[in-house]
Amino acid sequence: MEPLVRLRNIAVRYDGHRNGGLVAITDVDLDIYQGEVVGIVGKSGSGKTTLLKVLAGLIRPAKGEIIFNNHKLNGNSFRVGVLFQSPLLLPWRTVIKNILLPIEVLGEDVSKYLSRALELIEKVGLKGFESSYPWELSGGMQQRVALCRALIHKPSLLLLDEPFSALDAITREEMWMLLQDVISHEGCTTVLVTHDVREAVLLSDRVVVIGGRPGRVRAEVRVGFKRPRDLKLQYTKEFNDYVVRVRGLLGD
Amino acid sequence: MIRLRLSRSRTLNSLVVLITICIVWELVVDLLNIPQYILPTPTSIISTTIKYSNYLLRNLLDTSIHALVGLALAAMFSLTISLPLAYSEAVRDTVYPLITGFNAIPRAALVPLLALWFGLGSMPKILTAFLIAFFPVLVPTLTAMVTIEKELWELLMSFGATKTQILIKVGIPRAMPYFLSSLHMGLTSSFVGTVIAEMVASDSGLGYVILSSTSRLDTALAFSCLILLALITFTLSKVLSVVERRVVGWAYRVST
Repeated sequence: MEPLVRLRNIAVRYDGHRNGGLVAITDVDLDIYQGEVVGIVGKSGSGKTTLLKVLAGLIRPAKGEIIFNNHKLNGNSFRVGVLFQSPLLLPWRTVIKNILLPIEVLGEDVSKYLSRALELIEKVGLKGFESSYPWELSGGMQQRVALCRALIHKPSLLLLDEPFSALDAITREEMWMLLQDVISHEGCTTVLVTHDVREAVLLSDRVVVIGGRPGRVRAEVRVGFKRPRDLKLQYTKEFNDYVVRVRGLLGD
Repeated sequence: MIRLRLSRSRTLNSLVVLITICIVWELVVDLLNIPQYILPTPTSIISTTIKYSNYLLRNLLDTSIHALVGLALAAMFSLTISLPLAYSEAVRDTVYPLITGFNAIPRAALVPLLALWFGLGSMPKILTAFLIAFFPVLVPTLTAMVTIEKELWELLMSFGATKTQILIKVGIPRAMPYFLSSLHMGLTSSFVGTVIAEMVASDSGLGYVILSSTSRLDTALAFSCLILLALITFTLSKVLSVVERRVVGWAYRVST
């Protein structure tokens, strides 16, 4: 099977004078297959967010190529949905209007996506909050709205950058289960960048460890559990073996 | 409910303080035998205001119209030029220093020139109001447009937003609360501008009434003008607050 996205020999350099041509990542090869959840872990400054931004088309790599569905891309042109640590909702827009923002920007017919938006809202358990404003919702609820916004335009790739690190432990676990549910329902290929090893192991089919300066792919660990997974899995020996292994690969 | 009652009782407190000040003022002027042309008593100010009410209202209307037209121009101008300034850093770096430099000129000093160019009519009044009011409206509006968080910017770019779309979908709505609240500053500035122009180059408006009444030592009338100016800007500011809550309630976290 051909990968959906294939990164070949990617290097990113920041030319900003403050960083003085800092090479953030180099020699990165990564294949992402349709329907897969790939976790990317690394310490701060390892370049994992940089890698995500390359996939999002926000950074043009200095070297290397991006192949999408067997087509080499000049700049990115496939659809991505992004979820950051902060929900970044627009306070003057209601929940539903925030979710429909990507459709407006893409210049598509908003009315055609209305039912999809409502379906997503129901899926993430926010039915009844369609006309609420973001500041009327809790942090976890806001992040759920942001997840809907990331999915509304049916992206080929869902990119999550530390999406739950601003949430409390219990809300985070709720969000893990919710995300897993939504991902399998939507069947979307997902890249999850995190520094939380447990989160990566629990949610991913495959964990990619990035490290060094500049950042490189150090190792890949395939997580053998079937999805969907249960929160209780965290307390099993097999799960912890994976966590210990990935943690070991991260280095000190 | 409690808040409402609290704010009502605060208003009452302010009134009590104001009345106390007036009584003390009245007594001090009486007891120290201060001549009315130096400091008129509150009672004589009130009786003068009633006596000249038609004349005062006519001139108040005159001043207000010019100040508000000046403010409207300032608001439109600020919004219009903040768009290209927000869109292009090159334009901003070129034009903004010029605007700041212009702002450093005391605009009151321009009134004689404006009178020379446009004569003694409405024009110098409106233009002075405009010139003083536009800067305090422009700065916060523009700042709000150009300080969109980097992450939000990246999020919008990730689904293909152009710079223009980001400005329209985020920049402008984000700037609206700043724009509207800056109109409070603009409002007082525009009245200051109009009154100055009326003192220098006009034969109507409250600025003119202040100047002519003080030259006749009719100080009470000048005080009437000052009080009316304070009242009108206070009232208009309140109206503006209501508009703000209606239009950008989200910025004040007002549930609708």
